[in-house]
Amino acid sequence: MSTEVLLNEFKEVSEHPHVVLSEYKKQGKKVIGVLPYYAPVELVVAAGMVPMGIWGSNNKTISMAKEYCATFYCTIAQLALEMLLDGTMDQLDGIITPTICDTLRPMSQNFRVAMKDKLPCIFLAHPQHRKPAFGLQFTVDQYTHVKNELEKIAGTTITDEALREAIKVMNRSRAARREFVKLAGQHPDAVSAVNRSAVLRAAWFMEPVPFAEKLEALNAELKALPECKWTGKKIVTSGIICDNPKLLQIFDDNKIAIAADDVAQESRAIRVDAAETGDPMMALAQQFADQDYEVLLYDEHSNQNRRGEYVANLVKNSGAQGLVLFMQQFCDPEEMEYPYLKKALDNAGVPHIKLGVDQQMRDFGQASTAIQAFADVL
Amino acid sequence: MSIYTLGIDIGSTASKCVILADGKDIVSKSLIAVGAGTSGPQRAIAQVLEEAGMTKEDMSYVLATGYGRNSLESVANHQMSELSCHAKGATFLFPDVHTVIDIGGQDVKILQIENGVMTNFVMNDKCAAGTGRFLDVMARVLEVKVEDLGALSAQSTKDVAISSTCTVFAESEVISQLAQETDKCDIIKGIHRSVASRVVGLAHRVGIRDLVVMTGGVAQNVGIVQALEEELGHTVHTSPLTQYNGALGAALFAYQKYLKEQKA
Repeated sequence: MSTEVLLNEFKEVSEHPHVVLSEYKKQGKKVIGVLPYYAPVELVVAAGMVPMGIWGSNNKTISMAKEYCATFYCTIAQLALEMLLDGTMDQLDGIITPTICDTLRPMSQNFRVAMKDKLPCIFLAHPQHRKPAFGLQFTVDQYTHVKNELEKIAGTTITDEALREAIKVMNRSRAARREFVKLAGQHPDAVSAVNRSAVLRAAWFMEPVPFAEKLEALNAELKALPECKWTGKKIVTSGIICDNPKLLQIFDDNKIAIAADDVAQESRAIRVDAAETGDPMMALAQQFADQDYEVLLYDEHSNQNRRGEYVANLVKNSGAQGLVLFMQQFCDPEEMEYPYLKKALDNAGVPHIKLGVDQQMRDFGQASTAIQAFADVL
Repeated sequence: MSIYTLGIDIGSTASKCVILADGKDIVSKSLIAVGAGTSGPQRAIAQVLEEAGMTKEDMSYVLATGYGRNSLESVANHQMSELSCHAKGATFLFPDVHTVIDIGGQDVKILQIENGVMTNFVMNDKCAAGTGRFLDVMARVLEVKVEDLGALSAQSTKDVAISSTCTVFAESEVISQLAQETDKCDIIKGIHRSVASRVVGLAHRVGIRDLVVMTGGVAQNVGIVQALEEELGHTVHTSPLTQYNGALGAALFAYQKYLKEQKA
């Protein structure tokens, strides 16, 4: 299949996840909604169910969720609740609600109250100290709770063998995505910013094996392309999420390619694999412990500004000339971290711009001006 | 024979045009006090051509900038962001400029310039505080004309603090001050300091170096310029052409682009 056909297929999934969900249900499959961040989707796969990511919506308006949330609340979380309340996700068989940030923690209780008799809500509290033995054990205990709840929904037992197989499947999906990110950065003439996002977004909605197979096919097509002589600019994106096609179209219109990303919904979610041998529950706990350079996770060496340095090096090593930071409105971790990130980027001589965004934005005139001017500066 | 270029700046609240001869002499200029999405752009273009006694066909190159730049595809040969054009215009008017403060209808922009080239910039977040819109709202509440704000603030005798955080909160503060019969001139000076505080906070993110130049329509308000000078501790330079600065930069870029295309 050609690159264009494959990209369009991913785009179709990315734009219509509710159609995909209906299709799974027609096939008699059970589907679990997975909220950000770092939920062990391997457990869902091992239970024979389909994990579907819930990262808000670029098309919906917050209305019913206002009953539960203050105005100054992350729109990703609010729109997730909105879709649970307005029936968009009625076909789900359960949701996993991680609680890594200060917004998601109380929000998990809103989900639980709102979905009381409608949908099982599986609470997941990752530990702050994720690396020491006691932290690893805490993660295993939490994941065991998730496993038990998923088993109830699936009506089956998750065996170690099935979990090891699920780990292999997800490792394959992550590897394909990492490869794609690299290839998309090398071939921006073939993969626009809009299409790049659609592929990475589709990963949250498609079953992992068909997704990996399709993406491996796309990667093979991209690898076979001649070297791209890109005459535009290249940047790295950073932030929680950057999947609005209208916003990304501004990059394409101004010939700005995304060489790599530091986006939670994209590369931050696929940096670390889990071990395919040994105790699979501990392998998943270790995978979480090995996550690093992450604004959402505790860093015992935070005074060294390692993350800032990591992001600055990501820009340099990817051949990008600058960084565009998408700052989610009311995202405490990202806003708190920004001065440190800015310092590291300034010290490394990496130009950047910060764009305030949320999922209720419909007009991107100001962002368009800033992005176009940034291209002029680069 | 001279080469004529037209720069069009379609802002959120006004449409401005400048015709340049040979990239250095201003032939004519126009300003219509309505911007993107109105009849302003077409009227401004018609007016600038009429004043110059020329037609669109006499223009060797037309470049559009500003919030409504994408709406002029049928007229303009090219479009550029207003930040680049403001940097260009300010460098033409003040060759030693290193910092440009542009307060527009809905944006605040601070540009860092080295050797006439924009090297860094920062814009306000999606919030009206500190913008021209903020001053419009305040003028309406105070029942004065926005163009009179500068002269009125000069008559202030007492300090009044107004919030720099939010237009909505600031508006209710102003209403509260009016209810307490605080002198309007004092309130206006407080509003100017509020805008200056917001803008200077933003400016420190890119750094401030002399010469500091202020562009955009708000630069005509001497009260704002003075408040900025006090907050910054730097002299803030303005030009009688301040409102035309973006269009001027666009016309300058148009001239450069025309020459480049001729060489190619």
